[in-house]
Amino acid sequence: MFEQFKTDLRWAGVRQNLVAWVFLLPFVFVYVAFLIYPFCRGVWISLHDWNLLAVTFNPDAKTFIGLDNYLRLFWGTEMTWRAWARPVLQGLCVLAALFCVWRYRTGELRWSTLWQCLMALLLLMFFFGWAPGEGGRWFDRRFWPTVGNTVFFVAMVVPAITLISLLLATALNRETRGAAFLRTLFFLSQVLSVTVVTLIWQMMFSARQGLLANVVREFGGVPLSWLAEPGFAMAAIVIATVWWSIGIAMVLFLAGLQDIPQEMQEAAKLDRANSVQAFWYIILPNLKRTITLVVILQIILHFQVFGQAHLMTQGGPNDQTQVLVRYIYQTAFRDSDLGIASAMAVFLFVIMSVFSAVQFMVSREDEQ
Amino acid sequence: MKTMENRRLALLYTMLALPAFIWLVPTLWMVSLSLQPNALLARTTSNTFWGLIPYPLTLDNYLNLLAHGQVHVWFFNSLVVALGMTIGVLVLSTTAGYAFARLNFVGKKTLLVLVLLGLMIPEQAVFIPLYTLFSELGWHNSHHGLIIPRLAVPIGVFIMIQFFRGVTRDVEEAARIDGANTFQIFWHVMLPLARPAMMTVAILTFLYAWNDYLWPLVSAQRTEHFTITLGLASLQSNFAQSEGLGSVMASGVIASLPVVALFLIFQRYVVRAVAVGGSKG
Repeated sequence: MFEQFKTDLRWAGVRQNLVAWVFLLPFVFVYVAFLIYPFCRGVWISLHDWNLLAVTFNPDAKTFIGLDNYLRLFWGTEMTWRAWARPVLQGLCVLAALFCVWRYRTGELRWSTLWQCLMALLLLMFFFGWAPGEGGRWFDRRFWPTVGNTVFFVAMVVPAITLISLLLATALNRETRGAAFLRTLFFLSQVLSVTVVTLIWQMMFSARQGLLANVVREFGGVPLSWLAEPGFAMAAIVIATVWWSIGIAMVLFLAGLQDIPQEMQEAAKLDRANSVQAFWYIILPNLKRTITLVVILQIILHFQVFGQAHLMTQGGPNDQTQVLVRYIYQTAFRDSDLGIASAMAVFLFVIMSVFSAVQFMVSREDEQ
Repeated sequence: MKTMENRRLALLYTMLALPAFIWLVPTLWMVSLSLQPNALLARTTSNTFWGLIPYPLTLDNYLNLLAHGQVHVWFFNSLVVALGMTIGVLVLSTTAGYAFARLNFVGKKTLLVLVLLGLMIPEQAVFIPLYTLFSELGWHNSHHGLIIPRLAVPIGVFIMIQFFRGVTRDVEEAARIDGANTFQIFWHVMLPLARPAMMTVAILTFLYAWNDYLWPLVSAQRTEHFTITLGLASLQSNFAQSEGLGSVMASGVIASLPVVALFLIFQRYVVRAVAVGGSKG
């Protein structure tokens, strides 16, 4: 009798598992086949000398070369290490380290976090010290400048979007018709596709037909060909991107503002605090977590920039707006060098994972 | 006190007028240009009030797009891909989300972690191997070739897990006592409850599908298989050969109509979907 009961129980367990797998199988199959497997295959391709056309016609036309693709991207000949090879970047690292120490001193950073930050910065400083010495050169002259452009783009776009959307969210966090209308207006551009956005802004910036040029001409100025002008092309892409994507950040800030206790704002009003004081002493401190999350999120999002650079400037002038994903795309589908392109994609993934991990850690702290 | 408050509001809106104007003008200009004759635009784009007012007005650009050109084919492709992707993601994410949130099976925790790790893999990290895989399968230049890669992204599952975890167990228990099996509970009890979450997933997916550029650019090489987003990019890159600025702008307006309409009708859901989608990949 007891044996019978145990068998029944086991059958119930098996049944439960079977039912669960009926629900799971469709997704898990698609997930493994079209995300996990391709991802692993990407890493595998990055270890090969793999020409797209050659391998298409003859599957054996690839050779395993280990980490050579990564070496060809990251390294050069006659590489030497000097303590201050890139003063600007390394200076920024030192500043960041000082900032971390200061935050630790004011009690806003835990000892372990400070330690991790300092180690990471030290590592970064060490990497920045390497450069091709005399008579040497990078194996791939375009890779690091492309990474630099991408970082520069992110460094322009993220603070601009964060600042603008924070101010807008604070101003529009009220239940009037006007505020609702303006929220709709500022969010609207977010739902447009990248090709529509670039279509609009390509025309806006055009020196012959653009709206900006027309206005400048009206006042007797000489219009600028933004997209072809070194120094202005990147600015044009940044402006278009900011116009396109303040929506997400604004919505997240609005959500964060809703969580600030109403009493605090009332108290500020009773104390006759003006809006600037209220913003500085009540809203900013309460939104710290949200701001951190929005910044990280934007970094991840905009590091993947592709369409704007591909359609508005084609990476020009002089490669100034060449960004990482566009370089990957070109290396793979114009130069047919899938090995190198995949190595770059893995590099992109690693950078994104670092920021994803930070995001995960911050939101975990949030829950505690 | 009331007048003080009103005065402050008035001041606020005055200060916001300039940014609002800046945010509105580019879109307005696109619409306005699309309503002006091509011949005029070839001469000047700042005819009436810097071209912001469409005068002389014409609908020729839109009529031309309907009569010939490939814009209607691209529009149809986009519609098929976006709807197909939305339905596919809904099916996969509700079933898997329910299993993860409510059913017991061996290795649940491990599998859940493995699935959520997939949120960290960006499209750009897999589009090359996907390209070679789809070449071998002969799936390029097709609707399913554009739909399938997005079905694997676990964001929808993530949203559904969050939702199903929040539903009280009482409903389920009651149905089980009434003799309903797991499939009946899922279909008759859980899915009707999950409508708001499904709406979020659907809108997120539709917006993504409609606006996606990188994967269609790689996978759809023949113009008759372009989506509207991709087709618009091809119009931009050879402005010279195209029929005129007004027509290109009209294509841009048509390409934006479905997403803008979706946004204006379901604003609350769209805002939530974009925020969730943005914050989780």
